[in-house]
Amino acid sequence: MKLSHFEALTVFALLVSIVFAITTKNTPRAQLQYGVLVFFSFLAVAIVVGWIMYPLPF
Amino acid sequence: MLKDDSPSVPADPGQNFTVEARESVVLKPQSPGMTAAACIAGLLVPGLGHFLLKRWVRGALLLVSIVLLFIVGLGMDGQLYRPPETGQWISFNTLGCFADAGIGIPYLVAVGKGMGAGVPTSQTFDYGWAYLIVAGLLNYLVVLDVFDIAQGRKP
Repeated sequence: MKLSHFEALTVFALLVSIVFAITTKNTPRAQLQYGVLVFFSFLAVAIVVGWIMYPLPF
Repeated sequence: MLKDDSPSVPADPGQNFTVEARESVVLKPQSPGMTAAACIAGLLVPGLGHFLLKRWVRGALLLVSIVLLFIVGLGMDGQLYRPPETGQWISFNTLGCFADAGIGIPYLVAVGKGMGAGVPTSQTFDYGWAYLIVAGLLNYLVVLDVFDIAQGRKP
């Protein structure tokens, strides 16, 4: 299975955010809100850190 | 300050909650036997503990998410840690084995079939390794969730 880095991190973020949302929030509405927040936070942090690391030569 | 829907805030035992699919649930502690059975079932198969406690949608979502994480991890040439040999228990391998084994029966099946040998030269090896580790560790988190539900701390 060949996924690009972005595809792999998106799948990872989606599946992990589902589990985090279900295990940490009590109501379906809170779970949905938290799951969406965690999912986009994963993506945003990965992209920001990727850009910060981009100029590093090692 | 904790929000009201945080699991760290004890829920009112007499309160009615509406969980998935408009199913009304009253917080009621289960018997110790049922609690143990649900936790062990959750350790063996992700989401099975939730099924025993009649949290059907949550159980299905957890089952699909965690097993998919595990399958994709194997498909990406990730490595599954095997149980350490005698005399080598204090090692990084033991920690990795503990994390991987958290998913329960799927780990045993994969190891039994010789899957998860890991291909370090593969482009996706590191991702696969992380997927497998996280799948097992997330299932430990799910078992704690089952325990909270069985104890009546969570709807």
